[in-house]
Amino acid sequence: MKRILTVDDSTSVRQMVSFTLQNAGYEVAEAVDGKDGLAKVGAGKFDLIITDLNMPNVDGIQLITAVRKLPGYSFVPILMLSTESQADKKDEGRRAGATGWIVKPFNAEQLVAVVQKLVK
Amino acid sequence: MSSTLNSTGAGTLNKARGDLHWVLKTTEDSIATLVACFQGLARHADSTLSLAAAIVERVEDRSVSSVLSSVQCLGAAAREFVGDRLGATSGIIDTVTAEMELLRKLSMVTDGQANVAARIKMLNVHTKIEVAHLGKVGASFEYLAGELADFSKVLAKSTDELIRHTNERKSATEKTRQLFSVELPHLREELTQIEKNLSADLAALQSGLTQLSNAPVQFRASAEVISGQIAGVVVAVQGHDITRQQIEHVQEALNSISQAMEMDGASGKGKLQEVAYSHAGLAIQISQLKAIRATIADWTSRVRGCLGGILEISASGLAEIGPLVLEQERSMSAQLSHIELLERECLANSERIRGTLEGISNLSQLVSEHLQKSESARNRLRMLNYNSVIEASRLGAQADTICVIADGIAEVSVEWTKITEQSGSALREILSLSQRINEAMATFSQAKSESLGEAQAQTKAGLESLRDASTFAVAQGQKIGIETDAMQLMGSEAERTSGLLDSCYARIDAVLTLVEDAKSQLEAQYPDIVEYYDSERIERSFSATYTTEAERDVLRAALYGTEMPVLQQCAMGNDVELF
Repeated sequence: MKRILTVDDSTSVRQMVSFTLQNAGYEVAEAVDGKDGLAKVGAGKFDLIITDLNMPNVDGIQLITAVRKLPGYSFVPILMLSTESQADKKDEGRRAGATGWIVKPFNAEQLVAVVQKLVK
Repeated sequence: MSSTLNSTGAGTLNKARGDLHWVLKTTEDSIATLVACFQGLARHADSTLSLAAAIVERVEDRSVSSVLSSVQCLGAAAREFVGDRLGATSGIIDTVTAEMELLRKLSMVTDGQANVAARIKMLNVHTKIEVAHLGKVGASFEYLAGELADFSKVLAKSTDELIRHTNERKSATEKTRQLFSVELPHLREELTQIEKNLSADLAALQSGLTQLSNAPVQFRASAEVISGQIAGVVVAVQGHDITRQQIEHVQEALNSISQAMEMDGASGKGKLQEVAYSHAGLAIQISQLKAIRATIADWTSRVRGCLGGILEISASGLAEIGPLVLEQERSMSAQLSHIELLERECLANSERIRGTLEGISNLSQLVSEHLQKSESARNRLRMLNYNSVIEASRLGAQADTICVIADGIAEVSVEWTKITEQSGSALREILSLSQRINEAMATFSQAKSESLGEAQAQTKAGLESLRDASTFAVAQGQKIGIETDAMQLMGSEAERTSGLLDSCYARIDAVLTLVEDAKSQLEAQYPDIVEYYDSERIERSFSATYTTEAERDVLRAALYGTEMPVLQQCAMGNDVELF
């Protein structure tokens, strides 16, 4: 079973991401912020990461940057899930190594479709 | 800004921040409970859909939709079956009535025959007396006497036999007539009842089968709606996270304004600019709070609506179809049993008719034999008449009495000829009756009810499938009932939690009042404060923490007097943009 990590300081968003992807047949782990996310990535292998942008301790951009430096994570898809929709923020995410961007709230069906496409 | 106003305003804003903290905590707790309820509801909805899917699969597997046409065929065949037998029974009653009339005529024939036999016996006695009287001369008449004696015996025996059989037939025919006279109204009543019941049952079954046949479509629609409602909840719950951030931004702004209001060092234009910064900040936060209130109301309403929708769809008709169709199947099976019973009754009637036919056949056989004997007797009588006339004329005056006997034989012969013709007529009538009975028999025969048998077999098979599908649907329906009961409990819990969220509006309204009071106080002291706005600085300062376009739009509306943005939450959520 493919493993996905969702990183968000909002419990409800994490729950909704987990609910959506678990129903689609994925194993989902949760991290409460970027720092926790990095720890989880270090402890196990994930096929895809979905992260918020604005989080305490380590934010989404910092997390992506750090993850991309980890062995075996150069090509692992990372999606940003944020309330931000500004182009400069998206550019920042892309430069850090994000694979895609979703403005909250996400469409469950669309998210599943994209995840299926990315973790084939 | 006076120090009193400073401390009052800052205190007010701190209280507002405290209230907002309460709103944050309450919405956080409420959303956690709602999410738990939602996950439980979604799980139960999934189980419900699986149970309903099994019903649908069974309905499709058992070709339930084809049952109706089988039952309709059965209805038509049963109507035809009963109608045919109704007609045949009427025909049999007519035939039996005709037979009774025939038997009455036969009785008259046998009476005439008995009379003829008695008269021949008398002629025999007279002949014997005359033979004794004539002595040797009358020896030739001894043969005539012997012939008459023998003929009288044969005739008496044949007549007795016919009388006995006719009486037996009278009794049997009366019984048959009585039986069918009772049977006819019964059959008419049955036909009316079958028509009525079949029409009612067919209408009910059609309705039930339509519902059952629609189950796959209904199921797919329900599954789609539930899926849509679940997606709606997923989006609405994320709405909470957006408002959480927005409330935090207002809290931060109020903190910043409070700090600005508490700074007492500036004077002159610098002081006015700080007051203007606070005033603009308060105006912006008022607008943000109004937008937040509307947003919370929106996602709370959508969560509530979607959870209610899941409950409503899950508890919809699917669970109730099974018992409904099972009840209709039972009613239809009872109809089928009734038709079978009627069929058996008709079979028993068929046996009775066969008995009537056999009776008539025997009668026709007997009358036919009797007719042959009568014709033979008529010839013998004629011969006896000729012989006695010839012998009497040869003897002349001595045989006057014999001439009287010969005349008697001639009279009897004429009468016998009449009786023989009547017997012949009776035989023809009997043959006609036999033909009519045969036709009735053909109606009652097994071959004629083949179409009914076929319809019954098809209906039985169809009803078995229907029973299987509906029994399964009942069992699944009970499980669905358990699931929906659990969902109702979760729905009630979600409803209570939604009630808590409603209290947040009152608290936000209270915060709005506090912030508006603080703003009014500034306006009372500085009526022209808007003229000191440094819009660029204010926008930059307050939008620094913003993460949503909605917040930025609200800020611009408040600061530049543009129109407030209309709340535009994407109900189905946003798509993924791949780089």
